[in-house]
Amino acid sequence: MTVLETRDLCYTYGAGMPFAHAALRGVSVAFEEGRLTAVIGHTGSGKSTLAQHLNGLLKPESGEILLEGKNIWEDPKKIRDVRFKVGMVFQYPEYQLFEDTVEKDIAFGPRNMGLSEEEIAARVKEAAAAVGLSDTLLQKSPFDLSGGEKRRAAIAGVLAMRPRVLVLDEPTAGLDPVGREQMLRQIEQYRETHDATVLLISHSMEDVARLADRVLVLKDGEVAMYDTAPAVFARADELEAMGLTVPSVARVFAALRQRGVPVPADVYTVKKACAVLCDLFEERGVPTC
Amino acid sequence: MLKDITIGQFFPAKSVLHRMDPRMKLLLTLGFICMVFVPKTWAGLALIVVFLAMCVAFSGLPARLIFKSIKPILPLILFTSVINMFYTGSGTLLWSWKFLHIYTGGLSNAAFIALRILCLIAGSSLLTYTTPPTALTDALERLLSPLKVFHFKVHELAMMMTIALRFIPTLVEETDKIMSAQKARGADLESGGLLRRVKAMLPILIPLFVSAFRRAYELATAMECRCYHGGDGRTRMKELHLHCRDFLAVGVCLVYLTALIVLNIFLPHAI
Repeated sequence: MTVLETRDLCYTYGAGMPFAHAALRGVSVAFEEGRLTAVIGHTGSGKSTLAQHLNGLLKPESGEILLEGKNIWEDPKKIRDVRFKVGMVFQYPEYQLFEDTVEKDIAFGPRNMGLSEEEIAARVKEAAAAVGLSDTLLQKSPFDLSGGEKRRAAIAGVLAMRPRVLVLDEPTAGLDPVGREQMLRQIEQYRETHDATVLLISHSMEDVARLADRVLVLKDGEVAMYDTAPAVFARADELEAMGLTVPSVARVFAALRQRGVPVPADVYTVKKACAVLCDLFEERGVPTC
Repeated sequence: MLKDITIGQFFPAKSVLHRMDPRMKLLLTLGFICMVFVPKTWAGLALIVVFLAMCVAFSGLPARLIFKSIKPILPLILFTSVINMFYTGSGTLLWSWKFLHIYTGGLSNAAFIALRILCLIAGSSLLTYTTPPTALTDALERLLSPLKVFHFKVHELAMMMTIALRFIPTLVEETDKIMSAQKARGADLESGGLLRRVKAMLPILIPLFVSAFRRAYELATAMECRCYHGGDGRTRMKELHLHCRDFLAVGVCLVYLTALIVLNIFLPHAI
């Protein structure tokens, strides 16, 4: 079922100014419930602009956004309800923390929703657990946390609203490999427990390859590709022509195919690569471990 | 919405005005501000408008940009001219109600003052449009350097101004980002009474201050890493030089000033 959909979305920054720049040019995409879609594209391709339209932070110049089949701008007064349903985690969200304790900061969103105190407490607890923040940290000032903890606290602040659609803009940027891995696992977990739809804007093709069901490729504010992950990564040459990288595994396999090794085109994760290569070795009688 | 602020917004182009020495531009802008107050006749004011139009033409800026710089102060101009309208009691009486009277003299006076302020703002906005902020503070440092005799920290002042100007767009962008992030968590910035609105600003102001301090620390460290130790013995990569065009500009301004004074002497005064 489609939960969120855009129809012919157009947006121009600084409309009518000498610096006017069309960021989105007729973007029509539909996001299926419960799926994880990765949004990739070169810097300035309109990824973040698209994301900010999905929860009504930007108002489209033309076109519409449908949440559960209803135009979100139908009643501009109710746009806050849309923002509670479509949770948005910005790039470097740690810079939005402001309360004197982490607990209060996470509670900011639920409190704005007008929930009861018990419900707020329950949600804060759940969100903190979801991102792996311990109870002792909850009573600390957010400014005393480490960089990675701040990031998790900020994401918890969005998760506490229990959004049906979660949009994350580069959630792993600047994290170390362990933190990165943890973050991705937590996002995946949130999706499973709440059956949420997730949109992941990312530059890391490894992350995308690991998690995404579908991949949306934007180029100059237009949809260049929107397909399942294997189908998109099979078009490695086109992606590279757009200045995007492909997962390292996909690159290795493309090179193998070029040299005449009979490997399929849709291999882009380490797991699958192992399986394919082991089969190939066995076929050719090369001993494997 | 915050991106519409145009304080110190430089508009890159390659006009004569852009290439002029910033020191000369700064002095001439000050001169122009004084010049605007010289004319007492409509003809003189018209001459100022012509002068301004000439400057805009030479600057290669789109006229729209100039109007944009005027827009924010329109209420102020309106206010001043309305007040002026009621306070001049010359000419014929047009309209009167209790203690309020409008005379033809009042109307012309109001229009005169409004036009004068418009010219003032438009003229001084040319300076910031055609000069990069760094060149401007550079010029200021040079012009104020005689004050060093009195142990006035000219270089430090100029450096502070450069940094402040440099960070205006950064902080505006940052504010926009933080506002979006808090709105995404349901922050309500538009409704409620004054107290509620002030309270609603806290989630934006606190992160903004925190990040401003963080940036300040980072910048201070970065400057120290590059051995910055104030203005003593500091040389510059780009030395400022006066060219032919700078003296020409002074000449043109002097000609206009003389014309204005002559008009003041020979024509009946408007105010």
